Amino acid sequence: MLDKTMLIKMNQQVHATPMFQILTNDQIEQIFFAALDVLEVSGGRILHEETLALLGNSDAVLTDTNRVRLPASLIEQALRSRSSKSALSGRNGKRSVRLQKNEVAFGSGADAAFVWDPKSGKRRKCVYADVAAAAKLVDYLPRLDFCMAHGRVSDAPNTRTQDRHQFMAMVQNCTKPLVVAGTDAAGLKDKWEMACLITGGEKEFRLSPLFATFIATDSPLTRSKEVMDQLLFAADKGIPAIFSPCSALGATAPATVAGMLVQTLADALLTVVLCYLRKPGTPLILGGLQTVNTEDKTALSYGSPELHLASAAIAEIYKWAGLLSAAPGGCTDAKVVDEQAASESVMSIYNGFLAGTNLIHHVGCLDGGLSGSLSSLVMCDEIIGMIKQIGKGIDVTDETLALDLLKEVGPGGEFLSHDHTFDHFREWFQPTIIDRSNFEIWAQGGSKTYNDRLEPEVNRILETHEPQPLDENVRQEMKKIVDLADKKED
Amino acid sequence: MSTRINQTVNQTARFRILSEDQKQRIFEGMIETLRNTGVHLHHEEARELLKEHGALVDDVTVKIPQNLILDALATVPPVTIVQSWDGTRKTRIEKNQVLFGPGPTPPNFTDPDTLERRKYVRKDAETVARICEALPNIGFVQSLGTISDVTVSLADVYEFAEMIQNTTKPILSWSYTRDTCRDIHQVAMAMAGGEDAFRQCPNYVFYGEPISPLLSDFHAMDKVMYNAKHGIPQVYTPCCIGGATVPATHAGQLVCAFSESMLGVVVSQLVNPGTCVIMGGVQSIMDMQYSVYAYGSPELSLMSASLTEMAQYVGLPMFSTAGCTDTKTLDPQGAIEAATSVHSAMLSGANFIHDVGYFESGMTGSVLQLVMADELIGMSHVVAQGIEVSNETLAVEEICQAGPGGTYLDTAHTKKYGTAHWQPSLMDRRPYEDWAADGKKTMRDRIIEKTRNIIANFEGPISKVPEDTKKKIAEILQAAEDREAKKAETEKKGS
Repeated sequence: MLDKTMLIKMNQQVHATPMFQILTNDQIEQIFFAALDVLEVSGGRILHEETLALLGNSDAVLTDTNRVRLPASLIEQALRSRSSKSALSGRNGKRSVRLQKNEVAFGSGADAAFVWDPKSGKRRKCVYADVAAAAKLVDYLPRLDFCMAHGRVSDAPNTRTQDRHQFMAMVQNCTKPLVVAGTDAAGLKDKWEMACLITGGEKEFRLSPLFATFIATDSPLTRSKEVMDQLLFAADKGIPAIFSPCSALGATAPATVAGMLVQTLADALLTVVLCYLRKPGTPLILGGLQTVNTEDKTALSYGSPELHLASAAIAEIYKWAGLLSAAPGGCTDAKVVDEQAASESVMSIYNGFLAGTNLIHHVGCLDGGLSGSLSSLVMCDEIIGMIKQIGKGIDVTDETLALDLLKEVGPGGEFLSHDHTFDHFREWFQPTIIDRSNFEIWAQGGSKTYNDRLEPEVNRILETHEPQPLDENVRQEMKKIVDLADKKED
Repeated sequence: MSTRINQTVNQTARFRILSEDQKQRIFEGMIETLRNTGVHLHHEEARELLKEHGALVDDVTVKIPQNLILDALATVPPVTIVQSWDGTRKTRIEKNQVLFGPGPTPPNFTDPDTLERRKYVRKDAETVARICEALPNIGFVQSLGTISDVTVSLADVYEFAEMIQNTTKPILSWSYTRDTCRDIHQVAMAMAGGEDAFRQCPNYVFYGEPISPLLSDFHAMDKVMYNAKHGIPQVYTPCCIGGATVPATHAGQLVCAFSESMLGVVVSQLVNPGTCVIMGGVQSIMDMQYSVYAYGSPELSLMSASLTEMAQYVGLPMFSTAGCTDTKTLDPQGAIEAATSVHSAMLSGANFIHDVGYFESGMTGSVLQLVMADELIGMSHVVAQGIEVSNETLAVEEICQAGPGGTYLDTAHTKKYGTAHWQPSLMDRRPYEDWAADGKKTMRDRIIEKTRNIIANFEGPISKVPEDTKKKIAEILQAAEDREAKKAETEKKGS
């Protein structure tokens, strides 16, 4: 009756997921203190009157060249008032993107000028229909959690209001939470008003934001008027803001990764302070593109291993500081969906995931962020599935150790016909485009490559998937806002 | 200037799947399995040896008490050095020392010229060895095929003889029987310049495998004993198929794989305490849709990294798996699966990470996949080596000097560190217009070009092999041919 006896195992600590770490706390502290030094000694430059006034009322030191130096005490005060969690809700009402420590969400991106068209073998300008198609794919794909605009709506009536059309394309075709990009304060306000129509009001939006806004800067430690206008509006309205400074090793940042991290963190802390001075508790997500320049030094690489390393490290630093993080992933410098696109996407998704980055955006981006690709979105969905499978770790229990089963089957036996196998094989990863058939079956099926199988799957989803429609009244109200903006800018 | 104290740093990234308690449970599972379930061992001499040392033997079943396992683990060497035959290259087999390389024995090969799948031939062994020699991130050599155009029973020996003259990187050889195992040993000794030189520092590692679950056939164990006796470092690792030859749950598979390798560890240490023996293997699952052993599954990455942690837990070197794929042709699937497994294996710190270049669940060897994976290993290494944090690299003064929005181009700091960034050889980062003007080549096109370029232009070390050594190798091969002919004759007479 041994099996009836209670077997007690005590003091067991398990890794429920793999554990990954680039920096120790000691190393992170060094980077943090170095960033404080930079803000105290050199500081930032603010090109925004309203913000300068806010700083004037604080302990910050201002110069007449708009330089601002921040005492560590002010920075730490701002950090203490941060909100450590937030959540994005789609228009389906699900709080599906939890912004909190070690929760990872993946989403599309971002605001590309072009799309790669595999049928014609050419790239062309992105139009409304492309943004809508990408949003539809994101709505369908199980491993994508939010939708960030695939590209710019070049066929909008006005380039200055294309972002409102982008928003319409996304919100109509995707019920998941959104991230908006490539906008200005007026555009942000319009989109926030449109979102409030869905959430049911300003306070409701604050409680469960429908979208986060992506604010990129390419001039380290400098705040332009455009950036500050958006940041302050986001702070006022409780719109989660993804602050994304971009820099390249040895060009706009020091040539060492540690130095680049110091500068990026200093930049992020400056933003934390500015938002704090406006409204304590602003939901901020700190990200950025920390990478190398391409060989001709004209652009930033979206696939370099330095990007993968620095993104994972900065996510660890933000986590340590109790801040939320974002990084690009599922993106590449390749111009087409080829082996380069596949491997660079894997590396960014894998490392971003292991580091516990909160928002991994830019999935489906080619050509260093210049082109969007629907095929890459579908490919990356499968990649994310594989990486998440590794993220499940190893379950070690009596059931999974299966020592009794091993004894029962014995040396030279087989497990295929056993119930235990039947009970557990569904826990394995199930491929979608990846093909594991043998050579003969594959050859009989026309020797199709990954790309040959990928394109029909993209088309199948676009043809068959029907996103839950947006309420018609809400849509018309939203349309009025867009029309008004178009008219104003005309 | 103030000074820092009490600092712990990560000199590399750290990646762990199992906790100490989880490792302990899997370790106990292995102990219990070998003691209670036991193994089938089809080698009388080995059974006698185990019995002498306290194992319970009943017909072919051997149950191993835990003290025998603990004793064996205590005598396994923490460091083993393999030196190339020309003395230029030393490879250390020790904890967290990572090398990547191809795998052995697929029947087919992707022809680098026609890109068609065909049988593997003798010339391919030389080609693979030269390509491995040329690729900076490939650290050891296996053949990616089984030679089809020589005496069948000597394919293993011809392969080794071809490869060792064309590379200075350590070869992980395999053999059919003790006879060919000895032939390979003799070729290696000829290359080393004699038996004494070889004994002092071996120039290859032997790879043998038990059969899952928990079974070792005569030849597998016969080779273990030969290699142990002669101080040849050896791998003894199974290919476990989750849900088919081992349980479908990963923890159960790890227990099984661990136990199977451990038999080789115990026997090798009984034969020659202190000889190098390496655990591990291929750990993946049976694809239930196609009944195929999945070489590209994420489960392979997860279990290989976990088994590596078990090896490190007991102080054994690890033979792991990565860079392989279930694709039938070079395409993004191969890239996805290779990148995933390469990065996992790199982070795990396994010693010999093999099967780089496998297509089609191990049925076809592809140097194209190998050349691609070489680039992926380089990328993975950048992340794995982590970040150096020091006053110099933190660059606070430089940042303050540059000021907000400042530039770092051409500063002294950038001149010093700006060249340390990773340089791609296959990844294209050019502007779209330049890429389009250059024929819109995909990475596949560039991989094929690079591979053909290496084959056409990279020499390898063969010109450094002395003439009399070549003659000796020819003699060894001839003697093996004579022996096999005689064997065939005897068998013919017998039937």
